[in-house]
Amino acid sequence: MSGVVAATSAPAPDTQALLAVLALPFIGAALVPVVYRALGERTAYYAAAIALFCFALVATQYGRVGAVTIPWIPELGVSLTLYVDGLSLLIGFLASGVGVLILTYSGGYMHGEPGQAKYYASLLAFMGSMLGVAFAADLIALFVFWELTSISSFMLIGHYQRKRSSQYAARKSMIITVAGGLFMLIGFLLLHALSAGAIGEATFTLVGTEGAMIENADAMNEALRSSGLLVPVIALIGVGAAAKSAQVPLHIWLPNAMEAPTPVSAFLHSATMVKAGVYLVGRFRPLLVGDEWMLIFATLGLITMTVAALLAVGATDIKELLAYSTASHLGLIIAGFGFANELGAETGAFHILNHAVFKAALFLVAGIIAHEAGTRLISDLGGLRKDLPIVAGITAVAALGMAGFPPFNGFYSKELLFEAAYEVAAHAGGLWWVFPAVAVFGSIFTFLYSIKFLSLFFGDKPDGLGEVHSPPWTMLAPPLLLAGIALVISISPQTAIDTIVQSVFESAIPAHGPGEEVHHMTIGLPTKLKPAVIMSAITIAVGAVAWPFYDRLHAGVNALTDVKYLRANWYYDNAVYGLTSASQLSMPQVQTGLVRTYVTWALAAVSVLALSAYLAAGAALPAFTGIGLGIPIVLVLLVAVVGAVAVSIAPSHIAGVLTLSILGFMVAVFFVLANAPDLALTQLVIETLVLVIFLLVLDKLPAYYGTARRAVAARDAVLSAVVGATVFLTVLLSTAATPDDPIYTYFIERAGIPEEHGPLLVDYGGGGNIVNVILVDFRAFDTMGEIAVVAMAALSVLTLIAMRGRGERG
Amino acid sequence: MTDKDTTVISRTVTRIVVPLILLLAIALLLQGHNLPGGGFIAGVLTVAAFALIYIIFGLSYLEEELLHRRPESSLDVIQPRIVEDYRGMFATGLILAAGSGIVAMTVGFPFLTQAVLFVYDVPIYHEIELASALVFDLGVYFVVVGALLTILGVVGAE
Repeated sequence: MSGVVAATSAPAPDTQALLAVLALPFIGAALVPVVYRALGERTAYYAAAIALFCFALVATQYGRVGAVTIPWIPELGVSLTLYVDGLSLLIGFLASGVGVLILTYSGGYMHGEPGQAKYYASLLAFMGSMLGVAFAADLIALFVFWELTSISSFMLIGHYQRKRSSQYAARKSMIITVAGGLFMLIGFLLLHALSAGAIGEATFTLVGTEGAMIENADAMNEALRSSGLLVPVIALIGVGAAAKSAQVPLHIWLPNAMEAPTPVSAFLHSATMVKAGVYLVGRFRPLLVGDEWMLIFATLGLITMTVAALLAVGATDIKELLAYSTASHLGLIIAGFGFANELGAETGAFHILNHAVFKAALFLVAGIIAHEAGTRLISDLGGLRKDLPIVAGITAVAALGMAGFPPFNGFYSKELLFEAAYEVAAHAGGLWWVFPAVAVFGSIFTFLYSIKFLSLFFGDKPDGLGEVHSPPWTMLAPPLLLAGIALVISISPQTAIDTIVQSVFESAIPAHGPGEEVHHMTIGLPTKLKPAVIMSAITIAVGAVAWPFYDRLHAGVNALTDVKYLRANWYYDNAVYGLTSASQLSMPQVQTGLVRTYVTWALAAVSVLALSAYLAAGAALPAFTGIGLGIPIVLVLLVAVVGAVAVSIAPSHIAGVLTLSILGFMVAVFFVLANAPDLALTQLVIETLVLVIFLLVLDKLPAYYGTARRAVAARDAVLSAVVGATVFLTVLLSTAATPDDPIYTYFIERAGIPEEHGPLLVDYGGGGNIVNVILVDFRAFDTMGEIAVVAMAALSVLTLIAMRGRGERG
Repeated sequence: MTDKDTTVISRTVTRIVVPLILLLAIALLLQGHNLPGGGFIAGVLTVAAFALIYIIFGLSYLEEELLHRRPESSLDVIQPRIVEDYRGMFATGLILAAGSGIVAMTVGFPFLTQAVLFVYDVPIYHEIELASALVFDLGVYFVVVGALLTILGVVGAE
C-alpha cells in the first residue's frame, strides 16, 4: 500500500504556519474584550484583520501536501496531527476567506447592536474551531474542534439571548449537532479499536502518516468488513455528518438557526459550519467508499436535496428559503460524495466551492434586504431592482448559479451529479434508476425557488414597501466580491478546477500508487448531447412550465407541512418537551427532602446498575467448592446471622442497637479467627464507640417504632433483598478472580526489614505490621485523603449543627 | 444528660478505667508499626475514653472540673469552648501528616515517601528503629481524635 502520490512530490507543510493558523483566532478572540474597549464598533476590522492574516497563512500552504505531528497525549496515542491537502485547504480558505468578508460586513450590519464584544469573540473562536476541523488529521483532535464549532455556533445563534425564539434555536442546534458529534465519536473509537488489528498499531491518525488509516485503507476496509462493523461505522459517522450538515431528518435546526444575525447565517450556515459534515464525508470517502457507502450517502443526500428543496418552495421568509436551500445543496454534495464513482467525488469537490460562493453572497444579500427594507417576508418584497441595482446584479449571478442555470457556476457541478447518478444507474440498472430520477426531480424545485428569490428584484414594488436605501460599502463589497468569484468560475470553470478543485477531488478518492495516472477533471460547457445535458434540459423545461404555478406549489407544500406527523420538528419538540415534563413529574418522587427516599433511590439505582452490568457482562458464578472454613468460624458467623435477624425484628431502639452490636462483635471475633488482629481491633473499638454514640442519641428518640404501612414495608423488604443479593454477588464475583501476579506479594516483600540493611531504609517499610505499613507508607496518600475526609465531616457537623440558628438565613 | 443519672459504681469504674484506656491507646499508637495498632485505632480508643467521661459525668464536667473553665457566655452552652480545642487538634493532625510528606519532598523524594532510620548503641535497647511513618501516624491520630470529639461534643451538646 503506498501513500498518496502527492505526498512524495509536493513540499511538506510548515508546522509554524499551521499552528499559527489555529492559535491566532483563539488568541484574537481572547483579546476581543480589551480591543473592544479601545476600538468600539471598529472591532469588526480588527477581527477581519486576524481572519485576513489566517487566510494569508493558509495561502502559504497552498500546493503543499503532508502531515505534521505535535504530541498531545502520547500515553493514549492522541496527537495534534495537522494534515494539509486540497480538501483541508479548500475548507481552510472558505473559513478564513469568507471570514474576512463576513467580519467586514458585520462592521456595517452590527452597527448599534448589543453584545458586540461577545459576538466578535465567538465568531473568531468559531473560525479557529473550523480551521481546526479542516486541518486536524487526528480523530480526537478533530472531534474536539468539531464540538467547539457546535459550542461557538450555540453562542452565535443565541446572540439575542433574551429572545425566546433565539434560545429555542440555539438549544436545538446545540442538541442536534453535539449529539450527532457523539455518535461520530463512537464511530471514531470503533475505527481506533479496529486499527490495532488492521495496521498493527492502534492509531487515531486518519491520514497523512505511514500508519494512518487512509494510508492503510485496504487493510482497514478488510478489518471493518470481517468484523461486521463497516455499516455501523459508516452509519455512526454519517449521523455526525448529517447532524452538522443538516441532512433530513436532522435538518430541522438549520431554519431555526436563522435567528442568528444574518452575517452569522451567511458564515456558519452556508459557507463553513454546515460544510463540516460534508467535509467529514469527503475526508472519510477514501477509507470507506463502497456499495454500502453509496447506498447510505447517495440516498441520504438525494432525499435531503429533494425534501429541502420542496420545503424551500414552501418558505415564506427569505432567510428561511435560503436555509432550506442550503440543506438541499448540502444534500447534493453529500450525494455526490456518496456515489462510488470518480464523477461523484468530482461533484462533491466542485460543489463545495460553488455552493459556498453563491450561498454566502445570497445570505449577505438577504441581510441587506432585511436591513434596508425592514422585512424578510417574501410576500412583502418585490421590485427591489430600482433601489438596489448593484444588489440585483449580485443576486442574478448567485441565484442563477444556485438554480443550476447554464453557464453559471452551479450548473457545472450539478451536471457532474447528473452524470454520476446516470453512470451508476446505467452500470447497475434496476432500482438504481431511482437515483437519476430523484436528482432531476429535486433539481426542478431548486430551480423554482432560486428563480423565486431572484424575482424579488423584478416586477412591481408592493404597496407596503417604502423606499429602500442603499447599504453602506462595507456591506456591499463582500457580496460583490463573492459574486465576482462566482462569475469567474462561471466563465472559466477550468481555472477553478486547476487552482483547487482538482486537488480536492484527489483527496476524496482512494489512494493511488506513485506511477498511476490520476484522472484529471475537465469542465466546460457541454458540446455533445450527453444524458446529463438532457437531464438538465428536462429540469429547466419543467421548471419553466411549473413557474406560473409557484404559488399553488407553495400552498401545497405548506398544506403538507401542516400535517404535524410529517414534520420532523413535531417529533423533536415532543421528544424534548416530553423529557422535560417527564423529569418534572419525577421530581416529587425522587426529591422529597426525606433522607430515606434518597437512600431508597440511591441503593435501588446502584443495585440495578450493578446487577444489569453483571448480566450484560455475562458474569458466571464461580463453582461452589464447599465451605473451606473451620467450625469455630462457622459458629461465629451463625451467631452473627442470628444477630442480624434479631435486629430486623427488634421491637425497640435499645433492643435494635444491642442486637446490632452482637453482629458487630461477632464480625470482630471472625477477624480474630481469620488472623486479622488489626481489623479485629479496629472493629471492636469502633463497635464500642458506635454503641456509646447510639446510647447518647437514643435518649432523644421515641422508645418504640411505629407500625409501618404494608406497602412501605413490602418496598423496604424488596429493596433490602435486592441490595443483599447485589452485595452477595459482588463479593462472590470479585473474590473469584485469582490474578497471576497478586499485589500483596509486593507488600509482603517490601513491608518488613530486609535481612541486610544499612542505617537508613527508604525502599522498604521496615515494619512488622503489614496493614499499618501499607496505611502509613505505601498507601499513605490514600490515608491522607481519608483523614482529610474525616476532618471535613467534623467541619460539616460543626457548620450544620453549631452554626444553626446563628442568623445567615437565606 | 445530667450527672444525676449515673451511679457511684459507674463513676468509680470510669475513674479507674479511663487512664488505662488512654495508656492502652498510646501503646497501640507506638507499637503500630510492628504489632497490631496504629493511629486510627489509637485515636478511636481515645475517643471512646472521652465518650465514657461524657456519658458518666456529663459534657460540662470535662471543661469545668478538669480544665477549670467557666462558661462565659450563653454561646458556650450551645457550642462548648473545648470544641475549639478539638478543632485545633485535627488541624494540627492534618498539618503533621501533610508536613511529614513535604519533608520527604525537600530531600528530593516524592510526596509522602517514608524512611526508616536505625540508631545503634542505645543504652538498654541497643538498637532502635525510628520510622518517619510514626509522624504520619501521629497526624492520623490527632485528626481522628479531634474530628470525632468535635462531632461528639457538638452532637452531645444538643
